[in-house]
Amino acid sequence: MSDDRATSPRRGVRRREWVAWFAVLFAVTAAMVAIRAHINEAHVALAYLLVVQGGSARGGRPLGIALSAAAFLCFDVLFLPPYGTLTLQDPLNWIVLGGFLLTSILSAQLLYRAQSEAEIARDRAAEVDRLASLGAETLNVGRAEEALMAIASVIRASLRLDECALYMTSGTARPDPIVSRSRVARSDMTVDSRLVDWVAGEGRSVVERLDGTTERNWPIQQLSVASPTTNRARAFLRPLQVRERTVGVLRISNAAGLTLTPAQIRVLEALAYYAALGVERVRLVGEAQRAVALQEAHKAKDAVLASVSHDLRTPLTTIKALAHEIAQGGDDRAAVIEEEADRLNLFVAQMLDLSRIASGSAASNVHPNEAEDLLGAAAQQVSGRLHGRELRIEVASDEPLLFGRFDFAQTLRAVVNLIDNAAKYSPANAPIDLIARRDGRWLVFAVGDRGPGISSEQRERIFEPFYRRSESPDVGGVGLGLSIARGIAEAQGGTLELDHRDGGGSVFSLRVPAIPTAELEQAAGVLGERDDASNES
Amino acid sequence: MAGDVVLVVDDEPQIRRVVRNVLAADEVRVLEASNGQQAIDLAAAERPALIVLDLGLPDIQGIAVCREIRSWSSAPIIVLSARHSDQEKVALLDAGADDYMTKPFSPGELQARVRAQLRRSRLAPAAGATQVITIGELVIDPVKPSLKKRDVGVHLTKTEWELLRTLLKHAGRTLTHQQLFRAVWGNSSGDMQQYLRVHVRSLRRKIETDPVRPRLIVTEPGVGYRFENEP
Repeated sequence: MSDDRATSPRRGVRRREWVAWFAVLFAVTAAMVAIRAHINEAHVALAYLLVVQGGSARGGRPLGIALSAAAFLCFDVLFLPPYGTLTLQDPLNWIVLGGFLLTSILSAQLLYRAQSEAEIARDRAAEVDRLASLGAETLNVGRAEEALMAIASVIRASLRLDECALYMTSGTARPDPIVSRSRVARSDMTVDSRLVDWVAGEGRSVVERLDGTTERNWPIQQLSVASPTTNRARAFLRPLQVRERTVGVLRISNAAGLTLTPAQIRVLEALAYYAALGVERVRLVGEAQRAVALQEAHKAKDAVLASVSHDLRTPLTTIKALAHEIAQGGDDRAAVIEEEADRLNLFVAQMLDLSRIASGSAASNVHPNEAEDLLGAAAQQVSGRLHGRELRIEVASDEPLLFGRFDFAQTLRAVVNLIDNAAKYSPANAPIDLIARRDGRWLVFAVGDRGPGISSEQRERIFEPFYRRSESPDVGGVGLGLSIARGIAEAQGGTLELDHRDGGGSVFSLRVPAIPTAELEQAAGVLGERDDASNES
Repeated sequence: MAGDVVLVVDDEPQIRRVVRNVLAADEVRVLEASNGQQAIDLAAAERPALIVLDLGLPDIQGIAVCREIRSWSSAPIIVLSARHSDQEKVALLDAGADDYMTKPFSPGELQARVRAQLRRSRLAPAAGATQVITIGELVIDPVKPSLKKRDVGVHLTKTEWELLRTLLKHAGRTLTHQQLFRAVWGNSSGDMQQYLRVHVRSLRRKIETDPVRPRLIVTEPGVGYRFENEP
């Protein structure tokens, strides 16, 4: 990239070179004329060749060729007899002259080529150097936004643009663009945000023309093609992509018209990749900050929950224990106090459950778990409060292993809530069925009762917190069991649905993700290897 | 049981009172500490037979007290906690606690657990793992090894034997998934939860009367398993 300010001094240097080298040519010629009697054609040719090569090395190809022509004339007129004329006495001397001219022009040409290749290499090296230092800068700058600003400024300065803007489009929030604007630029250009959105959405480029029209899907190479004044580009928008995902949009503009050389386009493409990485970095930093804030909030909430539960449960322990002592002394009222303390405790637990569900931390311990294990644990938990009612347990599956991916303790709580609910709303002598089965990709825990069933209007409402069925007798509780159960199911990617049961009653189906049998057999096989070596007893 | 020293650690005097009343029936000598440092000092000086430790202490985290005492004492530790958190329970059992009760607990339940822990600690530590034991319809000889259910020999795989031996050795005590997995499989990598459950299930099929309602290998939800030798 040549610079206007750099060109004029170079032109001055070049003029000095011309004067100097023609002076050298003159001096060499004068010196050789003085000793003309003692030298032959070979000496002259050699001396001139050295002057031509020196000239083309310092002053470029035109000087080399001009010196060749001048040396050719001097050679002919001054050193080949008859002296003072262009004619030659000996026709063979034409060969000498022709050979000299050819050799000098050729050497000027070769020198020029070698030099220009060296210059390109220098330019490339400078380009690489600039990119490398920019890369290092963008990684080093403390704040990610500052790095983006640095990139925008470098793009603007190295392509001599009025304006370079970077838009971050990957998040849901659209922060203000990072804009680098030259001091002389007219900032009256308004940016059409729909164009930015289109580029972000489609991952393709757009050009804005001087006449105000736009063209979508416009390849960047077109920027180097000369076009009529009205049809010239004014601004160019290209997507910024990291791993084929659009993370932002780069917009460059020149109010007077935007044309880039192929080399500049190459630089722009390289810098655009840095810009993309910078935008991605801003996004990641933002995400990390949000995650930290969220974690802090969770921590604070956990601390509150812990202290609330501690402060409520510690006095409840005392109340319960004292009531227990008094009840042993024969006072029935103490037993009521103990029961109420239990009820209060249940309520505290349910409120904490609801808050955990609301904050999305209800199922934090999801692992492969076995269905039968859960059924057994559920039977054990409710055994004390079914008062002789039959709980029928069945694993309705032909598969040897029935596994799901769920939080064992939470899912157990949900299933126990369903069993308690069934016990509350069905006749005391009616058995409750607890069935585990596989349904496609789901592991289903179904709890069936022979109660009155639930009308279709109430079918969804019973899952609302604090909802209690109108037609039912007072069954205690505050109506949180089912909404907690559903919250737990949903927290681990499952569902809880209610259906009519054939033959009367209701059936609640809690679904959690099942684990494919093949995966399980593999796990069992891996561990079974050691069993092959077991001592048969 | 009479004459045993029991250390009760809680910063709430009311809870200490409740625990003291529960223990009164067993004629044990009750020591009280109201913070963690005092608890550690008393445990070192008096060598209690059992420790009831509340987690919400003002100075040192309950779990740190538990780990500290466990590093030089084998006295059973029963933890009281107001947080109903499985993760906390697992962490405490891994730190060496023997039992865990959530507040509000019933006095009768606490009494039963204290008695069970005192009885267990009085037995030779590895008795369950070396003697022939009869539990209900099972006769287990862990050394031979052989297992009979209603006088019929039952074949256990090597993994199942190791699982059963580990459970027997710590009968009555809840072992966390991590503790069980380490004891049976060592430090193998893999999905420990899944391996463990596959083998617990197959062991239950062989030793339980009704594997769907297990009485011997009891699930402690979200925490681990416990072998009940006195179901």
